[in-house]
Amino acid sequence: MHIEFTLNGESVSVDVPEKMTLLKCLREVLGLTGTKVGCESGDCGACSVIFNGKLTKSCLLEMPLVAGKDVITIEGVHAPDGGPGDVQQAFLDHGAAQCGYCTPGMILAGEALLTRKPDPDREEIRRAISGNLCRCSGYTQIIDAIEDAARKRLVKTH
Amino acid sequence: MSKLNYVGKPTALQVDAYDKVMGTAKYVGDMYLPGMLYGKVLRSPIPHGKIVRLDTSRAFQVPGVKAVITSADFVNNGLWGWPIKDAYILAHGKVRYVGDPIAAVAAETEAAAIKGVEAIEFELEPLPVVSDPHKAQSSESPLIPDECPTDKNNLCNIHIVRNGDPAAIIEKSEHIFTGSYVFQHQEHAYIETEGALAIPDADGSVTVYANDQSPFINRGNIASVLGLEQDYVRVIQPPVGGSFGGKDDIGYQTSSQAAKLALLTGKPVRITLAREESMAASYKREWMEVGLKIGADNEGKLKAVQANLLADSGAYSSMTPLSSWRATMHAGGSYRYEAASVDTESVYTNNGYCGAFRGFGNNQATGAIECLIDEMAEKFNMDPIDYRMINLLREGDRAFTGNKLMHRPNADRCLEWVRLQSGWDRKRAEYASQETGAPNRRGIGVACYFHGSGLGGEGTDFATANIRINGDHTVTLQCALTDYGQGSRTVFTLIAAEVLGVNPDRIQMLRPDTQTATDSGPTVASRASIVGGNAVRDTTEKVAHLLNLAAADLFKCDPAQLIRVEESYIGPQEQPISFEEVVDHAREMGFQLSAHGYWQIPEIHWDFDSGTGVPYFTYSYGAQIAEVEVNRKTGVVKVIKIWAAHDAGKIIYPLGAKGQMLGGIAQGLGYALTEGFTYKDGYPQKLDFNTYHIPTSLEMPEMEYKFIDNILPEGPFGAKNLAEPMMISAPPAIANAVYQATGVRVHEFPINPNLLKM
Repeated sequence: MHIEFTLNGESVSVDVPEKMTLLKCLREVLGLTGTKVGCESGDCGACSVIFNGKLTKSCLLEMPLVAGKDVITIEGVHAPDGGPGDVQQAFLDHGAAQCGYCTPGMILAGEALLTRKPDPDREEIRRAISGNLCRCSGYTQIIDAIEDAARKRLVKTH
Repeated sequence: MSKLNYVGKPTALQVDAYDKVMGTAKYVGDMYLPGMLYGKVLRSPIPHGKIVRLDTSRAFQVPGVKAVITSADFVNNGLWGWPIKDAYILAHGKVRYVGDPIAAVAAETEAAAIKGVEAIEFELEPLPVVSDPHKAQSSESPLIPDECPTDKNNLCNIHIVRNGDPAAIIEKSEHIFTGSYVFQHQEHAYIETEGALAIPDADGSVTVYANDQSPFINRGNIASVLGLEQDYVRVIQPPVGGSFGGKDDIGYQTSSQAAKLALLTGKPVRITLAREESMAASYKREWMEVGLKIGADNEGKLKAVQANLLADSGAYSSMTPLSSWRATMHAGGSYRYEAASVDTESVYTNNGYCGAFRGFGNNQATGAIECLIDEMAEKFNMDPIDYRMINLLREGDRAFTGNKLMHRPNADRCLEWVRLQSGWDRKRAEYASQETGAPNRRGIGVACYFHGSGLGGEGTDFATANIRINGDHTVTLQCALTDYGQGSRTVFTLIAAEVLGVNPDRIQMLRPDTQTATDSGPTVASRASIVGGNAVRDTTEKVAHLLNLAAADLFKCDPAQLIRVEESYIGPQEQPISFEEVVDHAREMGFQLSAHGYWQIPEIHWDFDSGTGVPYFTYSYGAQIAEVEVNRKTGVVKVIKIWAAHDAGKIIYPLGAKGQMLGGIAQGLGYALTEGFTYKDGYPQKLDFNTYHIPTSLEMPEMEYKFIDNILPEGPFGAKNLAEPMMISAPPAIANAVYQATGVRVHEFPINPNLLKM
């Protein structure tokens, strides 16, 4: 099946089996391994992408539904010079990545939140990442990072 | 101590976090090579059975399938295991648990590999199932291993402590307390599952990228079961998505399966486990039942303790002989007694096999003693912290195992901090006077712990490290101890930076690679910072010394006259010379700017037969207070806040230590309230994250923590061990808080909400 969609701001087209998930397509057809496999049953969030502006588990999304839509992955949130984007930098500064496996999903959860709510409080950040499991960190430093990125973004735009 | 530039700096960042946040870190499942085959494993659907027929021929008829292996493809049928050799790379003769691997297929696509597995014909004759650890030793229970390591049916191992005559003392005690506590299995639930990528070479050697914790043990095992010289096997560790002790045995099995398939097909083979597969097949934390009997006098002073522990090792022994030993060494808690005895038995069952998991037996030991101590405090009408304080180990005391403590025990300082920070006294009084029938009731509870450092009596505890200063003035550092997120690579880099007097950015830590690193034992027991850290310090001091000689030669002065300011060397004339110049001069002088370092924990000796000796050369200490609110209608426990204090000596990498503390509390929370990996007649009951619930961001309480100021003189810059102990006291602290909130003493973890309903 031939599918065309927008990936990290660029048009892409792929030929994939109808039942292939977006997760498998990203990793195996497009070679973008930043989006991770954690459970493939929609429970852990390691496969999270931003799909049409919403944080979405790509292991649950079959390719026909992706046609014509907009997808952002961890590979698409860096700064214009190729370096870390602001949420990525905040994760570095706060030690928010330990093993790093939930990190791409968490960063996208942060990005998705800040796009719709630029000034979230900690409770809102907690809720925004509640679909992403982390076994290493206890979540505090992840929340610190997203909170810090939000604050700096607001300062920049004022 | 002189001011430190890098060690302990609050802003020190994780050295390998960049790739993780950019999404470019390549975990095993992200690694792809042209021509790579995909491996899938056939696993037993039943908990106990004889393999009466196994025919793999139809698998070869599936298009794309290139190889199928069984136990016959390995030396000695792939028998392996340590310390007890009772397991197989692929099952031989029998399957012993649901998920036991039987055969493995390599195919051109994952889909073909799955079809290949489904095409394998096999017949299992069901055998009686042993699922209740209490019944394992009964003569009616079938023997689960091929050979029993002891003379009792399904008894895997025993451990004892014999310190004086506790029975006699307890009999004469004015007060006797007993308690029995059960701890259900726990699943590691790392977000990345197990996997290995094996790449064969034309000369018959094989390189394996595997997400296990101990590349040297993996290499030794692969070489042994494949009948290869160790030099023909190379194991490299890529970034690992969490382990917590869980990726050893199953990692070695998976690595050997992939390696064999790779050598057979001449192509790279990658095996990664699916989540449901991993939850069934991978080993768990042991189920344990801990029985305690304590005698105390009228003032509440502890006189003697007798403990009996039963551990479920499941289908294979794995690390249970060692974790059950650590449980034995901690069963009395960090208290002073006149006498003590412990009797521990580990048994085989047809539940999933059990092995290493963060805490390694001390979770269950401390969970039990801290619950009973709390009951005793109440009986003596004493505040739970005050009661602990009068019985806590103090400087110069002997632990219940009989060994004299070599360093000041700091549980008291930890208890003092959490008491003050939490407003303990005020809250204890406030919650004691809540309305009995209130729909939501609060409680605040405490627990403290000690945790033996290093492997202890488990084995020789050493590590090695290598360093090289390159011609381009960069520094290459390598240690075989691994980093699976806990930050060991960063700790080593900071230590080397401090000793060498260079910016950590100048140092590159190589991946653990059996071809270039030197053996350092397994990355377990939270030993990386202390043992690995000291080995890194040792090797770095050697090259630092050579650079000092070179700088002294440039300044024409004595090395003792040198001062370091940032990276520069300053001589008596105060004219600075750069690090680069010194390196160049050292090379001109003909110095070899590379070194090997070694460090070993001071030798201690535990006599397993007599139950006496010195189990550990030192301990770390901690305490936690938990404040909870219980809904009396649903019985659901909400943890509002946790205060945690821990003595880990000098903190080398503060952001990492913070993450380990908070993450440890999260795992303790899950162990206490929401997890519980259960078996029914040997069948695992929870195989996904929906039914096996680990804490999400919404369930985490507010947490305040403190690393107590302390220095272990023998540790690198004064550091001790850190990664494991901090998950240990959350469960009993929560249980004790739940008691204040509900009047219900719980004796099983995770806590059953039904018991807390009004």
